[in-house]
Amino acid sequence: MSQVEPWVVLSFCSIIFFIGFTGLLIRRNILVVLMCIELMLNAVNLTFVTYAKLLQNLGGQVAVFFIITVAAAETAVGLGLVVAMFRTLRSVDTDQIQLLRE
Amino acid sequence: MEALKTIRPELLTLAPDQLRALSPYLFVFAGTLLAILFSAARVVKSRWPAFLIFIVSSIIGTVAALVLLREPPTLLFNGMMSSDAYANSFCVIFLVSAIVTAASSLKYLDNEELQQPEYYVLILFSALGMMLMASALDLIVMFIAFELMSLAVYMLVGFRRNDRRSNEAAMKYFILGSAASAVLLYGVALLYGATGSTSIRGIFAYLQAASGQGVTPVFAIGAWFAVLGFLFKIAVVPFHMWMPDVYEGAPVPVTGFMTTGLKAAAFAAFLRVFIATGYGSGVSAVIQNHIHDILWVSAVLTMVIGNVIALTQTNLKRMLAYSSIAHSGYILVGMIAGPLSEQGYAPVFMYLTAYAVMNLGAFVILTSLAARNDGGLNLHDFSGLSRRHPWLAFSLAIFMFSLAGIPPTAGFSAKYVLFYSAIQANEIPLVVISVLCSLISVYYYLRVLVYMYMRDTPDEVPVRRRVSVWSAAAIAAMVILTLQIGVLPARIVAAAKKAVTSL
Repeated sequence: MSQVEPWVVLSFCSIIFFIGFTGLLIRRNILVVLMCIELMLNAVNLTFVTYAKLLQNLGGQVAVFFIITVAAAETAVGLGLVVAMFRTLRSVDTDQIQLLRE
Repeated sequence: MEALKTIRPELLTLAPDQLRALSPYLFVFAGTLLAILFSAARVVKSRWPAFLIFIVSSIIGTVAALVLLREPPTLLFNGMMSSDAYANSFCVIFLVSAIVTAASSLKYLDNEELQQPEYYVLILFSALGMMLMASALDLIVMFIAFELMSLAVYMLVGFRRNDRRSNEAAMKYFILGSAASAVLLYGVALLYGATGSTSIRGIFAYLQAASGQGVTPVFAIGAWFAVLGFLFKIAVVPFHMWMPDVYEGAPVPVTGFMTTGLKAAAFAAFLRVFIATGYGSGVSAVIQNHIHDILWVSAVLTMVIGNVIALTQTNLKRMLAYSSIAHSGYILVGMIAGPLSEQGYAPVFMYLTAYAVMNLGAFVILTSLAARNDGGLNLHDFSGLSRRHPWLAFSLAIFMFSLAGIPPTAGFSAKYVLFYSAIQANEIPLVVISVLCSLISVYYYLRVLVYMYMRDTPDEVPVRRRVSVWSAAAIAAMVILTLQIGVLPARIVAAAKKAVTSL
């Protein structure tokens, strides 16, 4: 069975990361923005795992667990904020965030 | 894989001295859990249990940190955390700013009808995150501490749930803050790939071993991402756009907490990572020059833009937000000069302390004067304040003098030490620009004094608010500290030197 070269996986990770980053900058729906943040964090996870395999070092694998936990907490808080915002704004569009734009 | 086969018992238990070194964290953590229990169970339908638990646990935590300052540094959890003078001094700053914030919020939350015990729990959680940030020696631990702090603060910013501004500020802060965390974390992942370690000392050891042949591109990109993430968190100029909006939308005491505690915590962690990237150690001239140039440019931009925009603000809260950006610029000057001068990073620590004291004081006064929904903080609302609230006006005048850097206040001695170290590091143009920027800042800080002392009270006299005992005590303490650091700076200079020697 042929193995995937590490650099392929690593470039794949960086592509996913920048897709997430671009999405964060150009998408207007907050739920999609939350997904983009998730995408960036998962690209980081994949990078950690790849390097852990490459370096034969467990540290990277352990880091992934912590990052998953933090990402879950972040999503919980983020969705809470989305609900609070929807109550006052009646919208989940970042275009509607304009009171503070001066 | 070797580490798994041999379980070393000393990694699984805590020796008595390690437990002692952990005591500030344990006290604060216990306080957090107790306060959360009381606010969830609502045994007593009042704010007092959470507030009192908050005050008691953070005071005990502060005392424990002060006691630990006299003791030698202890490595904890297999070198992932260190309880040294650096961490403990920062713990004192964070806990004091948390106590002052809570004390000033008590009456404010009553006025705003926001009195929820969760408020104190969240402040305590973010203080715990800050303490862990200052003591983390591992980038993953630092990231978790960062998120512990940030997640609590996102909620605090959006604490006025029915107010649109507060919600928008929280959302904006949340999105940009998590994006910055993700960028920082990607940098950590690349650093791990390049060096095989996430620990700050491991990365530094790799750098020293690699000195001479230069660093790999992966290391350079990783260091870049990590530094960019931090620059975003401390809101220096190309990445500052979120900051004034968030500061304006957050409740006033939370803004005060963010400008002092949060900023000090971000700088505390940044300094540790910054040293790990090899700046100032002479291991890699390329990294040294690149980081120097980028910090130089962003320090200048931060000082100029922060001060110039603050000039045009008529709302005091927004003005202090922009001035907070400008102060980040001064601290960056200290970081650039740090390794090249004889005091090292001591001026940075001293500036953070002085800034925390004077800015907290100013925000406690704003908190006591704020009308509903954080109104009544425009400059003309301060007209004739010296007649209505002579003591508040006097204290605010001292804080404004201090922020502008006029002797004999904390701001002056901190700026003096900072600029002196920059001159030693031969950064003359940088010092000239910083001094010119502080000259600009004198105008907008002293304009507040003109309104307070030389204008008449407006016709529609604002309601004279009573200042609570807690706020009065907090203001008095901050005034005394501001003057003490300003008149007798030797003690704080010594404390700062001691703090940074353990870096």
